[in-house]
Amino acid sequence: MKTLYYRLRFGPPVVLVSGLPRSGTSMLMQMLEKGGMPIVSDQIRTPDEDNPKGYHELERVKELDKTTEKSWLKNHRGEAIKIISFLLQDLPLDLNYRVIFMRRNLNEVLRSQNKMLERNGNSGTDATDDKMRSNYDMHLRKVYYRLNRLGNFETLYLDYPEVVADPVRQAHRIADFVSRDLDVQAMASAVQSGLYRNRHSKAASA
Amino acid sequence: MFGNKVKIEKALYNKIKMYSDIAGYSSIEEFVHHALQKEIEQFEGADSEEEIREKLKGLGYIS
Repeated sequence: MKTLYYRLRFGPPVVLVSGLPRSGTSMLMQMLEKGGMPIVSDQIRTPDEDNPKGYHELERVKELDKTTEKSWLKNHRGEAIKIISFLLQDLPLDLNYRVIFMRRNLNEVLRSQNKMLERNGNSGTDATDDKMRSNYDMHLRKVYYRLNRLGNFETLYLDYPEVVADPVRQAHRIADFVSRDLDVQAMASAVQSGLYRNRHSKAASA
Repeated sequence: MFGNKVKIEKALYNKIKMYSDIAGYSSIEEFVHHALQKEIEQFEGADSEEEIREKLKGLGYIS
């Protein structure tokens, strides 16, 4: 009922692919694209060693926290856009959203982020991994709180290892969630377990 | 003064009253207000958000 109200008020939803950077959001975008979902990407950020199959980003999204001009998002109803979890709070509330949110072990996320920073020669921040883990943990709690309470957001939570382990099943869940007749086999083919690097194990965290 | 009320069990209330007197707060409300504000600051931590922002900038995910 609530969904119908927001649908009538704000129109078809913009599909958002979200999560922390290095949690598998690019892979999700590839799945959607292969499945036949229209995705919004400017291809400015090109594939590299960290994301050999591309980033599927839109540079304009990265400025959402610095601008009040966000009406362009209305032109992307029914399409999928990648947005990191940090910027979800900056989305305009006069739109309807369906968020596919990827969750991944924070140790794996941090390890992958640190490797990426090493490769591009940036330090990022002086904060230790322990501090960043705590920062991200609290950040995610806030994000989940908002997503679960705002009426114009519907969220599908996916866990990265489950997507890698059973991509067909997760592709079905995604297709159902976005209410589209997507090619789930093609979606599943976008998942390559070989790209599941930086796995967290008890031995690695000891 | 306060629009919202929170129920606290008697034993805890008595402790709050005792320690607010010992610590020199002018009222129980002032003590509770101060304690809760300190607790919330731990969660909000402005420096945490700045650290996340710096990390994400370094990674190229925000401009």
